[in-house]
Amino acid sequence: MNTKRRRPTNSIELDILARWILGAFLAGIAGLFFVYVKNRQHAVGNEARLVEAALAEVSKENEALKAKITVMTSRGALQRRLDEKSLKLEQIRDTAIARIAIPASVEPDGVLRTASADPENRIGAGTPQRAISR
Amino acid sequence: MTGTGIRIGLVCGLLVFVFTGFAARLIDLQVSRHDYFAGIAAQKHGDLKRTPARRGRILDRNGEELAVNIPVRTVTADGTHIQDASALAAVVSPYLDIPAKELAEKLSTKRPYVVLKKRVPEEKAQEMMRALDRENLRGISLEEDAVRSYPNGEMLCHVLGYVDHDGRGVDGIEKTLESELAGHDGFRMTTRDRKGREIVLYRGQEQLPEDGSDIRLTIDMGLQAIVEREVEAAYRQYHPAGATGILADPNTGEILAMACRPNFDPNRYNEAKTEHLRDRAVSDMYEPGSTFKIVVASAALNEGIVDEKTRIFCENGHFSYGGKILKDHHGSGDLSVSEILMKSSNIGSAKMALRMSDASYYEYVRRFGFGEKTGIPLPGEISGRVNPPHRWDMLTKTRMAMGQSVAVTPMQMVAAMSTVANGGRLMKLRLVLNRGEGDAVQEVPPVRTVVSEKTAKFVSGALERVVSEQGTAPQARIEGFSVAGKTGTAQKNNPRGGYLENRFIVSFAGFLPAKNPKLMGLVIIDDAQIGAAANYGGLVAAPVFSKIGGEAARYLDLDPDSRQVMAQSGSAHSLAPNVP
Repeated sequence: MNTKRRRPTNSIELDILARWILGAFLAGIAGLFFVYVKNRQHAVGNEARLVEAALAEVSKENEALKAKITVMTSRGALQRRLDEKSLKLEQIRDTAIARIAIPASVEPDGVLRTASADPENRIGAGTPQRAISR
Repeated sequence: MTGTGIRIGLVCGLLVFVFTGFAARLIDLQVSRHDYFAGIAAQKHGDLKRTPARRGRILDRNGEELAVNIPVRTVTADGTHIQDASALAAVVSPYLDIPAKELAEKLSTKRPYVVLKKRVPEEKAQEMMRALDRENLRGISLEEDAVRSYPNGEMLCHVLGYVDHDGRGVDGIEKTLESELAGHDGFRMTTRDRKGREIVLYRGQEQLPEDGSDIRLTIDMGLQAIVEREVEAAYRQYHPAGATGILADPNTGEILAMACRPNFDPNRYNEAKTEHLRDRAVSDMYEPGSTFKIVVASAALNEGIVDEKTRIFCENGHFSYGGKILKDHHGSGDLSVSEILMKSSNIGSAKMALRMSDASYYEYVRRFGFGEKTGIPLPGEISGRVNPPHRWDMLTKTRMAMGQSVAVTPMQMVAAMSTVANGGRLMKLRLVLNRGEGDAVQEVPPVRTVVSEKTAKFVSGALERVVSEQGTAPQARIEGFSVAGKTGTAQKNNPRGGYLENRFIVSFAGFLPAKNPKLMGLVIIDDAQIGAAANYGGLVAAPVFSKIGGEAARYLDLDPDSRQVMAQSGSAHSLAPNVP
């Protein structure tokens, strides 16, 4: 009778284990990548939101300033300033006017304003009768 | 079964029971009541954000801005995100000009949407948000909005109109072109995190706003300023019930300037009296008086009933017809058609009308555009009153010839006088040059040919004599330019029938240069507060026309066509007209 008894052991099937570990690792990596991408998406989305908000703010401020300029350079406002003598209207004699038909043009934003800070671009420059003449 | 087996069975059963409970609850949450919970989540975190469309601007023909939008913000609070109402109120209060205590009460709410203040200036709102960021406070948000502003105040108020608190056009161009100006709002479905910030990743459906079109008017603000100033001066001088001045291009029917008094500031329309809001140019009808004589003269000439040489006996100023006496201001014997217009003879005009058939005469009145709306895009336009022949009595025809028993609007008179000026074509009056199509300007064909060019030229020549020393309106002359026109002096209608004693509506309608008209003008002064002896179209309205016409000609740099200078008629403004 063979008394040498072999203690029963479960063999580790390394190839299967390796496959499982690799699978779990890949799943983990995929999960982590998914989380990373998702976080990046949120971060980029948040940046996009901030940029959008900043753009909207600038655009609104720009609109508000444009409206202010329009109000400040309106005929009514210029007339008030004329009345207050903070502006002076100088009559140009007929003999001092060279009659060259200058087509009316507008500023790049599509608006013709009655006053401009840049005398070169002032609408009606050289055609004083187009300026306010009250 | 051993005891161990039983224990294992019990534990397993318990686990099965517990997990079955979990599963049931999950199914309940995720499937059975999915819509309910999704609704709650959407309500808490979802948001439909409106993106308002920009209202179109109103510009003059050269691109000068007449109505613009000033961006403002509506400040709102979300009670579900507010943790410390008092701290929030303390920061926000100075920016909204609301006492901190009152604001704290408003903020102590769990409602998700509370409007704190509307129309907060953009800069102030942004400063407030920066201050909140610094303090790390949340629960306040801004909504886009805009207020309409009219930079020129009262100028051109009746044409522009105004918008109500919701930004909808109520009067003027703002009302008639509301659909073009308003545009269409857009929207965006958003999801917010627990701090109230948008999660861009979950941004839903989005539709961009369609901004309203910019409307370019035919109005030239340079000319408008001139008309406004002169009409205002006349209004202050004569204290009338109303005053109207209109400038138009007779060849295209474009309205270049129009002003009415009394007027209002569209930026503060709620302070204006109802009477001031009325656009007299389109909603007032009046008996035109002698300006209407151009109709009978044109009709009779065009029909060949009279010609340039025909002389009509004017009964030396007293004509008995239909049991009534028709009078002229200055009695005359035989007068040609040209002289009838020059001297504004009522009898001569009546006799020309009597030579025409009722139907033919009526047709000419209608062909000149009287009794129908001009179609100008302004609200409240009326068609005036022209009775058909079957409603005429024996005197109607003679009265109509001198501008009584007929009621017209100032705009109709502009169209009629333009018809004479441009060679006989009735033009459709235009106030809008284009509707957001850049610089494109569509040419509009005439509505109809009313009289031949020859007839129109002859009448035009006769009207030139009206402005001569012998005519009724020497005060309408303009240095360097030939002027043609016609005065009108009509007694005011009594609402209870008949006419009001010594109360008149005086007018002058004319054009220049007479031979090649570039400008047509109409001035109406309703019930000037001066003595009846001086209350004539030639004395009150003609000088206003002269000033407007002279300045407008210089503004447009028209080529002078007349050597006549005011120095030769230095006392022009003191010349009394021969007849009204």
